[in-house]
Amino acid sequence: MLFDEFDPREGKQLQIVNKDGVVVAPELEPTLSAENLMTLYETMITTRVADAKALSLQRSGRMGTFAQVTGQEAQVGVGLMMKKNDWLFPSFRETGVMVMRGLPLELFFLVFMGSEEGNRMPDDVNIFPICVPVATQMLHAVGAAWAAKIKKEKTATVTFFGDGGTSEGDFHEAMNFAGVMKAPTVFVCQNNQYAISLPRSKQTASRTLAEKAFAYGFPGMQIDGNDVLAVCVAAKAALEYAYQGHGPSFIEMFTYRRCPHTTSDDPTLYRSDEEVKAWEKKDPITRFAAYLRKKKLLSDAKEATIQKKAEEKITAAVQKAEEIRSQMKIDDIFRYTYKEMPLQLKEQLDSLKQTDALRGTSHA
Amino acid sequence: MPELNMVEAINLALHQEMKKDDRVVVLGEDVGKEGGVFRVTTGLQQKFGETRVIDTPLSESGIVGTSIGMAVVGLRPVAEIQFDGFVHPAFDQLVSHAARIRTRSRGRYSCPLVMRFPYGGGIRALEHHSDSFEAFYVHTPGLKVVIPSTPYDAKGLLISSIRDPDPVVFMEPKRIYRAIRQEVPAEEYTLPLGKAEVRRAGSDVSLFCYGAMVREVEKAADALQSERISCEIVDLRSLFPLDTSAIIDSVKKTGRAVVVHEAPRTCGMGAEIVALINERALLSLQAPVERVTGYDTVMPLYALEHEYMPDPFRIQTAVKKVMNF
Amino acid sequence: MAYDFLFPDVGEGITEGELLQWLVKVGDTVKEDQIVARVETDKAVVEIPSPKSGTVLELRAREGQTIKVGQVILVIGEKGEHVKVVQEKKKDASVSVVGFLEEAEQVLTGKKDVFEGKQIGSSVKALPRVRVLAKQLKVTLETIKGTGPQGEITEEDVHHAVQLPPPTGPKIVKKYDMYGYIEHVPLKGIRKTIAQNMVKSATETASVTHMDEADVTDLARIREKEKVKAAQEGVKLTYLPFIMKALIAALKKHPYLNSSLGTAEDGSQDIMVKKYYNIGIGVDTPDGLMVFVIKGADQKSMLDIAQEIETLAEKARQRTIDIGDLKGGTFTITNYGSVGGLFGTPIINPGECAILGLGRIVEKPCVVDGQTEILKILPLSITFDHRIVDGAEVARFANTLIEHLEDPDLLLLEN
Repeated sequence: MLFDEFDPREGKQLQIVNKDGVVVAPELEPTLSAENLMTLYETMITTRVADAKALSLQRSGRMGTFAQVTGQEAQVGVGLMMKKNDWLFPSFRETGVMVMRGLPLELFFLVFMGSEEGNRMPDDVNIFPICVPVATQMLHAVGAAWAAKIKKEKTATVTFFGDGGTSEGDFHEAMNFAGVMKAPTVFVCQNNQYAISLPRSKQTASRTLAEKAFAYGFPGMQIDGNDVLAVCVAAKAALEYAYQGHGPSFIEMFTYRRCPHTTSDDPTLYRSDEEVKAWEKKDPITRFAAYLRKKKLLSDAKEATIQKKAEEKITAAVQKAEEIRSQMKIDDIFRYTYKEMPLQLKEQLDSLKQTDALRGTSHA
Repeated sequence: MPELNMVEAINLALHQEMKKDDRVVVLGEDVGKEGGVFRVTTGLQQKFGETRVIDTPLSESGIVGTSIGMAVVGLRPVAEIQFDGFVHPAFDQLVSHAARIRTRSRGRYSCPLVMRFPYGGGIRALEHHSDSFEAFYVHTPGLKVVIPSTPYDAKGLLISSIRDPDPVVFMEPKRIYRAIRQEVPAEEYTLPLGKAEVRRAGSDVSLFCYGAMVREVEKAADALQSERISCEIVDLRSLFPLDTSAIIDSVKKTGRAVVVHEAPRTCGMGAEIVALINERALLSLQAPVERVTGYDTVMPLYALEHEYMPDPFRIQTAVKKVMNF
Repeated sequence: MAYDFLFPDVGEGITEGELLQWLVKVGDTVKEDQIVARVETDKAVVEIPSPKSGTVLELRAREGQTIKVGQVILVIGEKGEHVKVVQEKKKDASVSVVGFLEEAEQVLTGKKDVFEGKQIGSSVKALPRVRVLAKQLKVTLETIKGTGPQGEITEEDVHHAVQLPPPTGPKIVKKYDMYGYIEHVPLKGIRKTIAQNMVKSATETASVTHMDEADVTDLARIREKEKVKAAQEGVKLTYLPFIMKALIAALKKHPYLNSSLGTAEDGSQDIMVKKYYNIGIGVDTPDGLMVFVIKGADQKSMLDIAQEIETLAEKARQRTIDIGDLKGGTFTITNYGSVGGLFGTPIINPGECAILGLGRIVEKPCVVDGQTEILKILPLSITFDHRIVDGAEVARFANTLIEHLEDPDLLLLEN
């Protein structure tokens, strides 16, 4: 099993394509179809364009604070390897993998435009809404995995979290439950080296995060998190492991958060520009583009076309999002609290409507 | 005298208390190097070092649990939780231990911890960043709950909270973190816990409020003045211990009352105050007490947040209702 | 049309920045999202993208200038469009800023102005229920003194306040109505009591009057004869003592006439048959009808009864009678015949079963055994409560009474 070959306790890290796009582990290079390879690339571009657009919207006041994904786009590899019925339990920095798994783009914008409609996933898309309270989503993933076992479904659940997430109590409980229950859960840690201002070294005394899995009785592996092919290969191995009933596994994506924690953060307070620049050279999209060019799958013209297509898709998504948002009503505050609106809520909604009606006519 | 906003006033209080008392320790996520996501703890780590100003791993239960340990053996920890919605993992430590240590040990051990965090809505933030769960803490015997509404109060109340021998939940209304600037004395001063402040004396109706709502109430009162309605504004400041005398005295004086809070309606502070008035001032009431509150729904994201939060119009409407009863 | 671009909050809490560099100039065409300026804030240097596509019509800030969040920095529109000089928009927190901490515009002063209001006054203590009642009855609470345990105003206090006459102003009594002059006589005292009692009796009892006549010729003779003897004892002898004794004899035989219908503690009703005989006699006083009671009349002699009747009647007229002598009756006699009248329908004294009305004794020709004789006839009217007794029983009672009146020797026999 792939995980055995890359024991993080021995300092091993899986890398297939290096920062210049050169294949350094040809025996591990996956045999993905050209279509799939291009899907990976296109989705990474879409993610980056969406991020840029979102930032622009935030700066011009049309969107609120949100978390960018810049530098971590290789996450889309996990999404490609998942089956349609598998469940994804993300934190809040997984735009790429969510889009890969079928998240309608307008939903991404809606959440950060302050509308809960952004969490209304289509019925056939098994993605749980983004999770802001750190690490709480991991337990959900384990529970859903256990349910799959009971229902005798051959599906797996995948949960994402950051290096910061590994300090929360819920992380340890989730890992422990998964180990004991042999839950078909893949734990994907995006170790982007920072939890807001706290560097990874201060988050835990463990040398790697992947090795924590062994404490809970299952395998863990550290991979180059900016190498999308390594991501694919690791994710595939982990998912297969889960489908075959062997239980959970842990993938630590060693990557870097090139953007601030959110659009309201100022990273200059806690890290240097040199560090950021150094990681720019390891950019996941740049290296993958180089790889694709070598395979004659990408050209300047194609790149430009893909870029343009992405921009068009996103512009349309933003428009749709703003439209949906503008149609929200005050009833929406009350409708979803319970399945059936209790009398107390009905009374409060009526009272709110009455007050709002008065607003229009009052001179106060 | 320096003119400070609430962030700066709290920062000043922390600087001064840490200087005066070696036992005071600040810990939390991003409080040291970054100075806190709202810059409330700016400059503390540079001045007092990494052993007294600690950037903790991402773990709220860890923060509060270890703070309890520190407090029990003699330190005065001021633990920051980054946002109201993230206190919940620490709730077990707070309720099962911080609140009970003195009782269980018959006073041999106590927990003089301050847990401070920004709370409340109105800044168009993400999910879980706009809640108002003060009722959870008020309902937990053994905890004190303090909510300032001005920079001046924030400094005095925080210093009192740090010096208080019991665990204090210090909730900072983030909506007005920077919105009010006033003269705050540079020298140290304390404001007593358990005492409300009459922000404005009036004779027709008593308005009870705290936190960011005080400002909304003041706006409403200004508007009502033009209709010749005289509002008395009582800023509670401490939700536990509650200044029951101030509440009763005010109601006996005016005969009418309105309570305003952004927290959900059911079992909020409004319910407690109405019960109190019923017990001790029913004979003075000329109208039922009105509550202007948030609803019994999940706090909406910012697209509809303004519908949820009490604003001057809703407050005025409630006042007129009791005046015309 | 021209679009004012306001400098947005580009990170939580910033309020102003320094415009470092414009990347466009007036007349340039810009695309949405194209970076147009670089601004330095207290957090970082930020690149500002254009929110719209169009032509740059105006740059409203200079390089090096400090710009405030919410301030218009750029105007975009159609090429050649004329830009109206617009008043600098006041910083409005809700317009272009998101995830935003409002920044103070001025320093708060500690002024606390006291504004005196309507002084509606809640120095008054009263339960909400009582306040509502007072409102309904149009009573001003401040004018009432509370008698509740905490000094609060009670419901009774409010009701009492309503019954009080208006505190000020003369009482206006109209001397006429639409038909002519009238005199007002307040209903009070004995008149009021009589009014209340008569209405109570008339509405609560099922009264029927049984009428008959008694031949008192022999009785009259005895009275004439003994009148002189009685006068020597200082007693005025009327028919009444004789009638009373005859009455008692009849009551003893028909006890239900000497009863009252009462309601027990549990709500059930009882006919309480009295085993004592307290006979009331109505007397006409200047203030109205009063009934004094001869207690234990069955045990007193006729002379004693006569004496007592005289004494009590006089006391009643003088209004010196003891209240105890006005109470406790089991049967009443009303002697309207002493003034005039034959038959009547007297009203039962409340609490009793029947009343005996005596008309004027008249000499009349009557047929006795086929012969016409001149007899002294006493008309009797007995009103009884049909709830307690029926007509037949009363008729029998009347017959017994008449029997004793017509044959006074029976009284001698039975005593």
